[in-house]
Amino acid sequence: MKKYVLLVVLIGLSVYSVAEARIKVIGRGAKMNFNADDIPEIHKPAFELMQIKCIKCHTMERTVISVQTGVAPITGQPFNKQAVKAYGIKMLRKPNSDMNKKEIRDVVVLLNYLLDENAK
Amino acid sequence: MSNTRRLFSGIITLSALQLVAVGTAHAIPAFSRTYKVECTTCHTIAPELNEYGEVFLKNSYVYVGKAKSSEKKEPVVAVSAAAKKPAAGSSNGVAVKIRGEGDADQLNKLKAGAMVAGGAGQVAVVTSPDTAAVIDSPGDLKPEGLVLAGIPELLPISFTGTVNYAFGDQRNINNGNEFDYSARSFKLHAAGNFREKVGFFATYVAYSEQPQSGTYNTSEMPSNNKTDINELFLQMRNILDTPLNLKIGRMQPKLGLWKTNNKLSVTNNYLPYSYTVGQESVFKIEQPQDVIELNTIFARRLFVAGGIVNRKGQNTKEGYGHISYKIGGVDYLGNETDIDLSKEESILDFLTVTVGSYAYYGENGSSVSGTPRNSYERVGVDTELQYKIFRLRLLGGWGSDSNVDPTQSSYTPKVISKTGTIDGEFTLRTNLIAAVRFDYLQELGDLPALFTNKYVRRYVGTVAYAPLENVKLSSEFKYEITQDVINRIGTVGATFSF
Repeated sequence: MKKYVLLVVLIGLSVYSVAEARIKVIGRGAKMNFNADDIPEIHKPAFELMQIKCIKCHTMERTVISVQTGVAPITGQPFNKQAVKAYGIKMLRKPNSDMNKKEIRDVVVLLNYLLDENAK
Repeated sequence: MSNTRRLFSGIITLSALQLVAVGTAHAIPAFSRTYKVECTTCHTIAPELNEYGEVFLKNSYVYVGKAKSSEKKEPVVAVSAAAKKPAAGSSNGVAVKIRGEGDADQLNKLKAGAMVAGGAGQVAVVTSPDTAAVIDSPGDLKPEGLVLAGIPELLPISFTGTVNYAFGDQRNINNGNEFDYSARSFKLHAAGNFREKVGFFATYVAYSEQPQSGTYNTSEMPSNNKTDINELFLQMRNILDTPLNLKIGRMQPKLGLWKTNNKLSVTNNYLPYSYTVGQESVFKIEQPQDVIELNTIFARRLFVAGGIVNRKGQNTKEGYGHISYKIGGVDYLGNETDIDLSKEESILDFLTVTVGSYAYYGENGSSVSGTPRNSYERVGVDTELQYKIFRLRLLGGWGSDSNVDPTQSSYTPKVISKTGTIDGEFTLRTNLIAAVRFDYLQELGDLPALFTNKYVRRYVGTVAYAPLENVKLSSEFKYEITQDVINRIGTVGATFSF
C-alpha cells in the first residue's frame, strides 16, 4: 500500500512539475493569452500593464507565439532575451506608446521570465 | 469667360494638379503581402516613412536582422511533446535525406538561402501547447523551382490611387473661391528583392492630371508627371562581397535625406528639392533620372552614396554625392540603440538626430552640341530631429546657375538661389498626425534687366488621419507669397493603396 501511495505521489509531483514548468496559455486566435493565474504575484502588475498597453497595436497572441516559439511571427527574427530588450527599447521610443522607462523595464523582466519558463 | 476668371481658374487648376504630382513612391502593399507586416511597420502614415522604413529602403527592400540561413540550424520547435518529436529519419526534425547522385550539400545550401530570402513569414509556430498548427510557412511550401529561381511567389504588385479636392482664393483677383474636384492619379508599383541579393522597384503612372506648359515654383508639375515609368531600378547588394551596393536605372538620385513623398503633406515637396530656376533650365534635384549609383553603409550609422546621371538629349554626364550620419535610434542595419533600462529616463533615450549633406553638378543646353550651356550646382544640408511625438526637419540649400536660358545665344544672367524649409510634425495618435511647415526660396540674378528676382514664402498646415493603415485622409491649407501673387489654397484628399 505504501509503495502504491508513494508511486501516486511521485507521479503526481512529476506531472505537477511539468505543468508548472511552462505558463499555461488560454484562448485561441486573437483571444489567446497567458493564463493570469500562472503569473507570479511579483509579475502580475507588469502582466496587467502588458495587457493594456501592448494590445493597442497587436494582440496578445503575437506575444504568446513569440515566447512559445522563440521567433517573432511577423518578422521571423529570433525572440530571445536580447530581442526582448530591443523590442522594449523600440516600444519606449515609439511615439504614443504611452509607456515610460520603468513600465518598459517591468514588461521586459516579465517577458524574460516567460521565456525562462517556456525553456524548462 | 473673362480673362480674370480664366486666369484664376488656371491658377486653381494648377494648384489642384500639383496635388496629384506623381512623386517617387515607396509605400506599397506588395511589401505587406510579402512580409506579412502592417503598413505601420515602416510608415507613420503612409507614405511617410518611420526609421524602420528608412532601414528597409536603404537595404534594398530586404528585411535585415532576421536569422540567416546558417543560423537556422535549429528548427522552430513546437512546444508540445508531440510536436517536439523529431521526424523519422531526420536528425533534427526537418532535415531531409537526399539519396542518389548529385551535390546534396550544394542543393541544401541553395534551398536554405532561398528559403531565407523568400520572406520573413516562413515560420512554423504553435498556437497552443497541445495543438500544433502551422500559422504560416510560405518558405516551406514554396515550390522548389521558384525557390531556386529566386522568383517571388506572390506577384509583388500593388496600386495607389489619389483623389483630391482643392479650393483657392487669390486676393489680388476679384473672384471668390474656386473649386477643383478633378485632381486624381493612379499608379502601379512593383517591388521586392530576389533572394536578398538584388532589390528592385518600379512605379508606373497609369493616370495623372497632365501639366500645363511652363514651369512655376508655386504650382509646378514634375516633368515626369504623365503616363510614364516614374522609377525603374535594380540594386545589387554587396557586389563582389564588398559593402558596396550598385544601383542602376531610373530613380531619384540620393541627395536629400527624404524622397519626394516621404512627408505628411500631400502637395508641394520641400522647396530645396523641388524648385527650378528660370523658364528653360528646369533642373531640380528630386527628378527621377537615369542613374548609376554606388552606395554603402559604414559602421552601421554612416550612409554614403555617389552617382553619375545621364540626362536625355545631353552628352555631358552629371555627378552627385551624399553623406548622412545618424545618432540615436535604430541604426541603418536595423539594430536598436542600446539603452540601459535600469537607469532613469534621459532625453538621450528618446532623441534621434540625423544629419545629411549633398552636392550635385550638372550641365545642359538646348541641344546636345548647342551652345551656350548652363552649368548648375546644388549643395544642401538636411537635419532631422525626433523626440517622442515630435519630429523636426530642417533643410537648407544653395544653388548656382551660370545661364538660366541656354536657348538664347546672347549673354544671360547668372542666378544664385537660396532655399530653406522648416517642417515640424506632431504625432497626436498613432493614426493622427499634424504638421506645420515653412518654405523659403530666393533667386537672385546678376542682371536685373534680364532676370526678375524671385521669391517664395510658403506656410503649410497639414492634418492627416488614417482610419485604416492603407487609407490616408488629409486636410491641408497653404498660404503662399510670391513676387507676383498671394495664394490661399485649401485641399482635402484621400490616398489609398491595395
